[in-house]
Amino acid sequence: MRLAGSLARVCLAVLCFAPACRDRAGAADPAGPTAGAAKSSRASASPSLLGYLDESRLGTPREGGTLRRRLLGDPATLNAVMQSGAPEQEVLQYVSRNLLDFDSRMQLVPGLAESYAVSADGRSYTFTIRKDAVWEDGLPVTAADAVFTIRSIVDPHVPSPVFKSVFDGLVSVEASGERSFTARFREPYAYRAMAFVLPVLPQRRFSGIDFLRAPDNRAPLANGPYRLASWRAQDEIVLERNPKAWGPPGHFDRVVFKILPEDSVSYRALTGGGVDETRLDTSGRQRAVSDPAFRSCCRMVEYYDLGWNYIALNNRSPLFSDPAVRRALTMLLDRAAIVRGLFRGSARIISGPWAPDSPAYDPSVPPLPFDPAAAAALLDGAGWRDTNGDGTRDRAGREFVFDLLVSSGTTTGRQIDETFAAELSRAGIHARLRSLEWASFTERVDAGNFEAASLAWSASDPNPDPYPYWHSSQWPPQGLNSGFYRNAEADRLMDAARREPNVDRRNATYHRLHRIFRDDAPVVFVATSTQKFGFRNRVRGLVTSPLGLFGVWPGPAGWWAEDAGGGAPAPASAESTPGSGH
Amino acid sequence: MTRYIVRRLLLAIPTLAGIVVLVFFLLHLAPGSPMSAAGGESGRRMSQRAAEEMRKVYGLDRPLPERFGKWVSRVARLDFGESFVDRRPVLDRIDEALPYTLLLNGLALLLTLAIAVPLGVVTGGRPDGPLDRVSGPLLFALYSLPAFWAALLLQTLFSVRLQWLPLYGVSSDSPAGSEFADRAAHLVLPVVCLTYGSLAFYARLIRASVAETRNADYVLAARARGLSRREALWKHAFRNALLPLVTLLGLVLPGLLSGSVIIEKIFAWPGLGRLYFDSILSRDYPVVLALSLLGAVATLVLTLAADIAGAAVDPRVRDGTIG
Amino acid sequence: MSAIPALILPVRPRRSLPGTARVALGVVVFLWIVAALSPLVSTRAGDIRLNERLLAPSRAHPFGTDDLGRDLFARVVAATPISLAIGTTAAAVSVVVGFAIGAAAGWFGGVTDLLLSRGVEVVLCFPVLFLLLALAAFLPPSPATVILAIGLTTWPGDARFARAEILKARDLDYTRAARAAGATTRRILLRHLLPVAAPPLLVSAAFGVGWAILAEAALSFLGVGLPPPMASWGGILAVAPAYIDEAWWIALFPGVALFVTVAAYNLLAEGLRAATTEKVNR
Repeated sequence: MRLAGSLARVCLAVLCFAPACRDRAGAADPAGPTAGAAKSSRASASPSLLGYLDESRLGTPREGGTLRRRLLGDPATLNAVMQSGAPEQEVLQYVSRNLLDFDSRMQLVPGLAESYAVSADGRSYTFTIRKDAVWEDGLPVTAADAVFTIRSIVDPHVPSPVFKSVFDGLVSVEASGERSFTARFREPYAYRAMAFVLPVLPQRRFSGIDFLRAPDNRAPLANGPYRLASWRAQDEIVLERNPKAWGPPGHFDRVVFKILPEDSVSYRALTGGGVDETRLDTSGRQRAVSDPAFRSCCRMVEYYDLGWNYIALNNRSPLFSDPAVRRALTMLLDRAAIVRGLFRGSARIISGPWAPDSPAYDPSVPPLPFDPAAAAALLDGAGWRDTNGDGTRDRAGREFVFDLLVSSGTTTGRQIDETFAAELSRAGIHARLRSLEWASFTERVDAGNFEAASLAWSASDPNPDPYPYWHSSQWPPQGLNSGFYRNAEADRLMDAARREPNVDRRNATYHRLHRIFRDDAPVVFVATSTQKFGFRNRVRGLVTSPLGLFGVWPGPAGWWAEDAGGGAPAPASAESTPGSGH
Repeated sequence: MTRYIVRRLLLAIPTLAGIVVLVFFLLHLAPGSPMSAAGGESGRRMSQRAAEEMRKVYGLDRPLPERFGKWVSRVARLDFGESFVDRRPVLDRIDEALPYTLLLNGLALLLTLAIAVPLGVVTGGRPDGPLDRVSGPLLFALYSLPAFWAALLLQTLFSVRLQWLPLYGVSSDSPAGSEFADRAAHLVLPVVCLTYGSLAFYARLIRASVAETRNADYVLAARARGLSRREALWKHAFRNALLPLVTLLGLVLPGLLSGSVIIEKIFAWPGLGRLYFDSILSRDYPVVLALSLLGAVATLVLTLAADIAGAAVDPRVRDGTIG
Repeated sequence: MSAIPALILPVRPRRSLPGTARVALGVVVFLWIVAALSPLVSTRAGDIRLNERLLAPSRAHPFGTDDLGRDLFARVVAATPISLAIGTTAAAVSVVVGFAIGAAAGWFGGVTDLLLSRGVEVVLCFPVLFLLLALAAFLPPSPATVILAIGLTTWPGDARFARAEILKARDLDYTRAARAAGATTRRILLRHLLPVAAPPLLVSAAFGVGWAILAEAALSFLGVGLPPPMASWGGILAVAPAYIDEAWWIALFPGVALFVTVAAYNLLAEGLRAATTEKVNR
């Protein structure tokens, strides 16, 4: 779902940023990413109802053929620094390697960078780029390219919505040789390394021209397994093998992205063979299980990611300033019925601000129960009673009536809101639904200019740091704590965790915080639901992850087709797609 | 006549100015901004600092009147600027979408006229005849049928259940037959959805004015001169019906440019309507402004052309007595 | 737009409503009765039952249930007064505003006409979709917003129409006579010109209702209409595409209600025109 949440997103998306690697704890671990990955305990494995899918060792990959992917929208740019959304990331993943990557277990693994080291004070990160890493024209990827990329990100004239905030604390970045560079930050930060899940731009292609208008922004120079063959706006993007690919090559000869914004349309494209994969919403999944056309061609891939739904409450509003009232609201929402009815069982109730697959989540903290009687008692105790007999609770002359915002583009959000409003009305609380289109919705929510709003958190990196969204120093307009939550003890724990280099101690702190969040109920925590995809059976080698199917390495680059020609990788296909005929 | 045209052209200037001012200020004062829309619902939120920098990059930190002046002076040199979304020239983006919209709507209009004109003349020539009795209620039914609903039903029937026609889009990856047949098949449902409503409307319009004049003196005189009923109808009565038709086309043609948002959305058709709608949602100010301005200019020019055609025929209009 | 259908000129004067229009009138009356009775089902229409989602039509749920387990029949009935009220009010707003402005332009002529006509032209050339979205963004979503948005975009058609009617009538003999006899402007407008212009405006209004109901449905379908849980037919239809394979009834029943209502109003308007034309010509 989309989310709304403002908050969340900053987290980066797709792949890009890294997370938390629990083993690579931090600053003082000079071993570099590989060492971390080796230890790899799956942090969060705990309460997962679904097994994650790993076909990577199933069958022998066959080479060749075309993979048809579905894109939600036309990428706004293929400049990796300026990317802002999922479509850009999904295409760029094939074309541009990152310095570091996440693997499917959310561990950092080497990409363009073969290793990195952290200074003793935890402020400097020195990266070494692989010797064999080259661009599609054969020239090497250099430290100067990486330095140029990072300087572009922090350049105030360059919009870089994804990366800007992760380099907020950058002091300097300098190359120290052909292949190594050092980035220095104002302060140590436990999750700093995640910033380097970062693609690199070729400096020479941007020199002397306007960065925002460079030809490369629509025709990027590749350093990954594929390169751009053609791009027909609003219609399709075709990638072909990069003949100079230096890493593991992909298995397909071509990857075609069809731009299909509507889920219902892409579902039919899937069963008709127009695309090999598509996201499904809950109703799409329901349709698929009973659709013979789907069962004969396709399979369902379902897994939990790090996203979750919630109803944000403005903690500064007199209606919601009392934690007892906020708890009562949570207890009035029958989340089990939502999981059963709305999500058809493919969801779980959450009790805090992380998904259960995040190491920060403490599975031993049960959610507040659904208990309308107890909730009514809490409301009565807080002074909210229906004194004037109009059917709505009131206190000191103020009726318990509020606007509940929802973005008009989200079906799940609206369904949760309508359910919530109906249940509240039985308890004498009147929630007025207001649906706003996206731009107006986020503007109000980000500014903290709302009473309640239905949101979804979608994180695509495993960084669990709650500080930007829940610390009282992060209230709007500067920060993203748009519900104006404040709790002194929680503030202290959040501050401590950011500086704690040991991952186990950090997670222990988050577990304490989790309990505070549950009891304070700064928002109504609702549920985390599965991500659902339909895949044509020909596509093999899928690996799911809490970071999604795409946000990891090798991810889609490891897929192959059962019906492909076979044998050795075919030479990069010269055939290009038909030009842009209108 | 020249005076009339000059006068109308002069009058178009304040109208255009009014539209431009209204669109510009409504757009910039409306809630939401390119920053709050960035990335769409599947994107990420940006930090306050990133948003501040972006505001400066777009020049949105300048006072509104200054931005307006800048925009007007650039547009005066036919420079519509760059899209906020992908930073390409606005005209490139319009250029990409325009052929799709013209194709779809042009076909729909041709089809509409090809059916509506004969039907209108024949039924108008014999009101309450058998054809009129059947087609009348049918046309009203079509006129009352919501296009988006019809599109849903047609998609379900022809694309999902019967699988005769493609569901959406402009073309398939690997068409079964020729590329032409494939593209034509993609056009069928959207063209039908755009045609049936206006078809009903035009047929009624032509029928009414043919019926009105079929007993007029000059038509009767023509018949007395020995023209067949059919000839009299087509040569005289239909000609009379052309005036309202032309006037109406002047009003409707600009719609060809703005396209049909809902139909383009349902059929994933990459035309101007979708571009316009998406641009409004993403607060892509330069694109919205350019499309609004071009739409208004097209409307003015075409109404003017229609009025001039009308004035050439009807002296009352020319003198400004009516119309 | 609402006035455009009225451009279809009269064919033959008739004394009374034609048969189809009488049927249409019957349907309209029936719809208003349904609207009046709709409070009987409003509780059911809002009754969310997540364990009864997307049930096919049955005896218990004649139209099936929607995506939140609400009875679709109850929802379609409960939507009737909303859709009808929005349609008629928006059409009334359009006709009243359009008539006032068009009549003023036609009657006073000169500079007033010039200015008012420019205003009409601005709105006429104004991108309707943009205006609707802008209004929806500025104003909280509510029936009043939707009515305003639709009314504001359709009045120019009525204004042009009214102006033309007034221009014609201004120079008629009895108007001159009344003026010569010293009647005030107001009196002439209300006593002499309004009666002449009223029948075509009534027809225009009836067509306008159909148009406005369609426009509201389209807005709700695009997601900028009424706020949930308030349901108009378009609002119920908006969720239909997501469930079209699974729950065709969500697409069918509200769509039929919409179609029948719009068709009834249009046929009624057509009949009204046929019937009133004769009086005017007499």
